[in-house]
Amino acid sequence: KDKSAASKESTPEGASKRQEDGAETPKQQLLDIIGNMKVEVSYRKKLQQLKASASKKQALNKLEGPDSEGSVPQGTTEDTQRGKSLNPELVKAASAVASSLPHNKKQTESELLAQLRRHEETTDKQKKGGTINIRNIISEMTVKRQSPAQRGARISGRISLQLDEDGQRIRPERSSAQSIDRRKAKVYGSLKVGKRLNIFTKASTEPEHALKTVSSPTIWDLEFAKEVAAVAAQPPRNGFEEMIQWTKEGILWEYPIDNEVGMEDDAEFHEHIFLEKHLEGFPKEGPIHHFMELVICGLSKNPYLSVKQKVEHIEWFQKYFEEKKELLQEI
Amino acid sequence: MAAAALSWALRAARQVLPSPCPRQVRSYYVDWRMLRDVKRRRMAYEYADERLRINAIRKNSILPKELQEVADKEIAALPRDSCPVRIRNRCVLTSRSRGVKRRWRLSRIVFRHFADHAQMSGVQRAMW
Repeated sequence: KDKSAASKESTPEGASKRQEDGAETPKQQLLDIIGNMKVEVSYRKKLQQLKASASKKQALNKLEGPDSEGSVPQGTTEDTQRGKSLNPELVKAASAVASSLPHNKKQTESELLAQLRRHEETTDKQKKGGTINIRNIISEMTVKRQSPAQRGARISGRISLQLDEDGQRIRPERSSAQSIDRRKAKVYGSLKVGKRLNIFTKASTEPEHALKTVSSPTIWDLEFAKEVAAVAAQPPRNGFEEMIQWTKEGILWEYPIDNEVGMEDDAEFHEHIFLEKHLEGFPKEGPIHHFMELVICGLSKNPYLSVKQKVEHIEWFQKYFEEKKELLQEI
Repeated sequence: MAAAALSWALRAARQVLPSPCPRQVRSYYVDWRMLRDVKRRRMAYEYADERLRINAIRKNSILPKELQEVADKEIAALPRDSCPVRIRNRCVLTSRSRGVKRRWRLSRIVFRHFADHAQMSGVQRAMW
């Protein structure tokens, strides 16, 4: 089956190339050469090629009979080929070949048509593919292993390698990845082309909105989270991991040592030192004022207390002296 | 939503790090004296500020003496365990009240035991 398919694949290519002799681009000439090289290799293929050409001529004749499509100019065949739909001639030729073969006719016909389509795609892409680098093409030929004309490919590969000797040997390897990708792309088709199957719906991208509506995690969630963390946390493999664990637990300090860890003093220095504004509730003369001035002097020199604590101290004194006002007035 | 909350909880849990290999945790104090000492320390921490302020009033020569006497009475009225003087630096492991080195918070016997077993970092038998 493979060989028949191979022959069918090579023959329409050969036929189309012969038809396109009018358009004499060097690339197509080369493709002709390579196609011919492929075809000339195996004898079995020759026989089948003859068969196929005969059937094709029959098909052509059939076409020419009823319609004048046989005289379709070469340009239109090119156009139809480029338009990814198979040439009706080729289709008829394929059906003829399938009928000639002993196996299941419909299956062979469908397979042949599939092969044809694939090949059409590859040829189209080769034509369309940007910079026409002959070396790339040759290197592609070397890498192709899937091609049914295996012997042909190998021999053509050898020949092309000989050609490539003058150039850099790295080329086939370097572009092998590219060619593999291209090959894959050709085999499977480009991902974005074709009808959408609508099997997968696009995942909604709204996790952030969802986060806002989350309530605080329940106790069970926390317990589950702790369980998972306990299971996942393996005992430390070395001293570094042990130190990391200790740092997370808080046993080990973080290096370089930050002296102000835990101290979140947002206040500026002037709030620490100039505390006279808190002295408004006190009498402005007398021993109490004197005492409070000393208190403020001491607090301003204290680097260990936060502004809040200092203010609390002063407020406590204020309360205390207000409670003792009666006593003070007796004195 | 739940997944996001769970991931946050996981991150929090990982930071807390429940120990994978459970260590031995002591849930009792060594003896009652140690417990009482612990209570005293907690109380002293609670009343530290008040005591400081009242003492500031007491121990100065500017304010009138009557005020200072009132302050004396006030500070005496505070609970007994609130004064820091009653705290005794006991050995952390054996609750021994005497022979405790402050740097390690251990009694001399425990200290010697650990040092001989090379479990005290940087401690070596003296020889000169």
